[in-house]
Amino acid sequence: MRTTTRGRTAGISALGLLAGLTAIPASAADITITMAAPDWPPTRFMKEHFDATYQSPDGHKTTLDMDFIPWPSFYERVAASLTSGEQKYQMIVTDSQWLGSFVEGGYYKDLTDLIKEDPELTAIMEDLHPVLVSAYSTYPHKTREYVEEHGFPAPDTSYYGFPQFPDTYVTFYREDLFCNEAEATRFQESFDKKLPCSYEDWQDVDWETWQQIGEHFRRAKGEPLGDGTADDEFYGIAYQAGKGYDFSTMAINAFIWQKGGSIWDETKEPEGQAEGVVNSETNVEALEQYLSMLPLMPPVAQTGQMDIFVVQDLFMQGKVAAMIDWVGLGEPVLDPATSTVADKSAFAVAPGTRKDDGSIDRTGNIGGQPFVLTTWNSDEVVKEALNVVKWWLDPATQKEFVANGGQSGLKSVMADPEYNDLRPWNRAHVEMLPWQRDVWHIPEFFELLTQQQEEFDKAITGQIGAQEALDEVAEFQQELLEDAGRIE
Amino acid sequence: MAAADAATADDAKDIGPPARLPEESARPENGGPENGGPENGRGESGGGFLAWMLAPERRGPLLVAPAVGILFVMNIFPLLWSFGLSFFNFRANRQDVPDFVGLRFYERVLTDDKVWERFQTTALIVGSSVILQLIVGFCLALLFAKIFPLRRILLMLVLTPMMLSFVSVGVFFKLYYEPTFGLVSWVLNSFTDESFVLLATPAGAIAGIVVADAWMWSPFVMLLVLAGLVSVPRYLYEAAEIDRASAWRRFWTITFPYIKSLLLLAVLFRTIETFKLFDIVYIITEGGPGDATETIAVYLYRMAFQFFRTSQSSALAYIVLFVVIVLTNLYLYAVNRRAQEMQ
Repeated sequence: MRTTTRGRTAGISALGLLAGLTAIPASAADITITMAAPDWPPTRFMKEHFDATYQSPDGHKTTLDMDFIPWPSFYERVAASLTSGEQKYQMIVTDSQWLGSFVEGGYYKDLTDLIKEDPELTAIMEDLHPVLVSAYSTYPHKTREYVEEHGFPAPDTSYYGFPQFPDTYVTFYREDLFCNEAEATRFQESFDKKLPCSYEDWQDVDWETWQQIGEHFRRAKGEPLGDGTADDEFYGIAYQAGKGYDFSTMAINAFIWQKGGSIWDETKEPEGQAEGVVNSETNVEALEQYLSMLPLMPPVAQTGQMDIFVVQDLFMQGKVAAMIDWVGLGEPVLDPATSTVADKSAFAVAPGTRKDDGSIDRTGNIGGQPFVLTTWNSDEVVKEALNVVKWWLDPATQKEFVANGGQSGLKSVMADPEYNDLRPWNRAHVEMLPWQRDVWHIPEFFELLTQQQEEFDKAITGQIGAQEALDEVAEFQQELLEDAGRIE
Repeated sequence: MAAADAATADDAKDIGPPARLPEESARPENGGPENGGPENGRGESGGGFLAWMLAPERRGPLLVAPAVGILFVMNIFPLLWSFGLSFFNFRANRQDVPDFVGLRFYERVLTDDKVWERFQTTALIVGSSVILQLIVGFCLALLFAKIFPLRRILLMLVLTPMMLSFVSVGVFFKLYYEPTFGLVSWVLNSFTDESFVLLATPAGAIAGIVVADAWMWSPFVMLLVLAGLVSVPRYLYEAAEIDRASAWRRFWTITFPYIKSLLLLAVLFRTIETFKLFDIVYIITEGGPGDATETIAVYLYRMAFQFFRTSQSSALAYIVLFVVIVLTNLYLYAVNRRAQEMQ
């Protein structure tokens, strides 16, 4: 933390003269807010836009010193900094799942009272989508339904974070292939249904159609593809199936929730069990459905290394007709310098599970990150950090952010008629956001995740089946959570 | 200091008795505060505190003091601290006051099936990798023991892998094995329509790591063996030729005795290093598929920095350290044996 107050003594007389004539506050200071941030476009934009536009309402000379950390080492670097006690950061862009670990560790500041006392922050909380308030801000975790029912401030609820970048996953597809007449005819002949081309067509795509797309577009080198021929092995579909971090859990949770299954529910502590829930028949079916489509995907899926970046690469290199990935990875896809399909890509909602009434359930796992304040800041720095929060969540800043590849969590901004036209995936994001839920937030999060990822990886690589994988996960979670006193 | 050293060297050459610095020569034999003499450092001619500090009996400790200081701060203190932690119930991401739990975490680690599975995985990777390194390194040494055109340039190229960083090698091999874009798959696709998916099975993933590690460290084995090969006197081979000894007999009775200690050194040194293998595994497979390639070092890392089981990971780290110390002692024994043989 670096703050210096200048001119307090010498300025008293000058301020006395100026009082009543100007709005200059009583104690302008140099304030540096050091923020840990993953190194990618949404945080880079925040830094650039801050430097270009931010003016402290309190008259401070404020510097936002972003510590850009590469994604693969982001958690370790932040965790090492916090637990070492170096107190380097005033603000941190954090995955929502880390809230428990770092709140319990005493590093993330409880902002509940500060938000309640500040009408502007209260207005922001009321304008934020309840999915985001639930996932990004509350600890102990409160469900979206609870947040929605009680409004702000909800009883027995502590609030910590604000959305830095709310992310959802959507479908990225090759318009040149999906809107090709010859392909559409072949697809119609094979499956007796329309090959999705427009956004509206994709709104009717369920997992069955997604699988058929995978079968349809599987081409060997030299076979006809669109108006030409495949210059290499070509695949129809891809979604994340990676062992690292959460690169299969995020997709598998969607299948589980859409089918009506459940992961261990932290809001039902201590009665909520893991065994019998995590390895329920429904969950096994969901995992089997997820696994059944992997053989249609590029062969790297068989290695358990098809993470979100590999999927993105495969799509950008023109090896895949459609992929499901985070909106945050969209900008490079549209950049001709990095993507061979920049001029051919279109975006739509992610597929889902068709219900008995014909509607499609698209429940998914929220992505993106909130940003939080740390506990060791002076009152002056806290106040200024909250000014930065207000600046970032100001509608004008948010619209600028969205126009540059970001997303907003503010309902008022998303309701703006211009919003969907700012970037090509915005309509899909707005439609996907209400479907989002989140994985656990407790301090044991990483152990739960790592073990689960290992078991899912064994299933993905064909070493074990879905039932065995979920039995192992359930047994481990039951034991760990009982030891931690979270299950009785 | 350079002038003083020069004077010391000249004195030694010309006079014979142990050399002294000018300041030291000027000091009375019974003088100086350290001898309880009447004079202190300030009273010495032309020296003062600096001269007192630079006295030969203090110069040595003074010169090594920075190194010892850094070693203590960066190595010994964290070691002792983590050793202490291993007896407490401490998690770095919690604010709970640590309780003394004695040997509980050592007991937990030693009775944890996962730990033994990780040790087995590590042993499998170490065994396979070291054997492959020995074979490749030995063959390369036999090749480079002979004189042929461009030998020096080729030798330099062969030594390149062990000068690369682990991260570079890991990334290189990960891309190399990638089934869609990777070079291996691309080459094999010329012969078959099937993609080559090496990392999809536990055996394939272990093979992938072993090949990457052996590629990096076979040149090291080659260097050691080459040193042994060039030390074999020529006349022994000439005598064996006169005796019409077979190539195998020449190798077994002449070459092998000269290189066996060096080979043992290579085995032990590479075993110790491979035992701690982390970077390549973490980058190429992250321990997958499943947990098939998760070595004890990767597991230790996860326990310490992802699960924040700080005390338990400290206990595991000391058990790993114990294994490494045992291996190191074997290494030192081999070094001593080699030294005795050379005498």
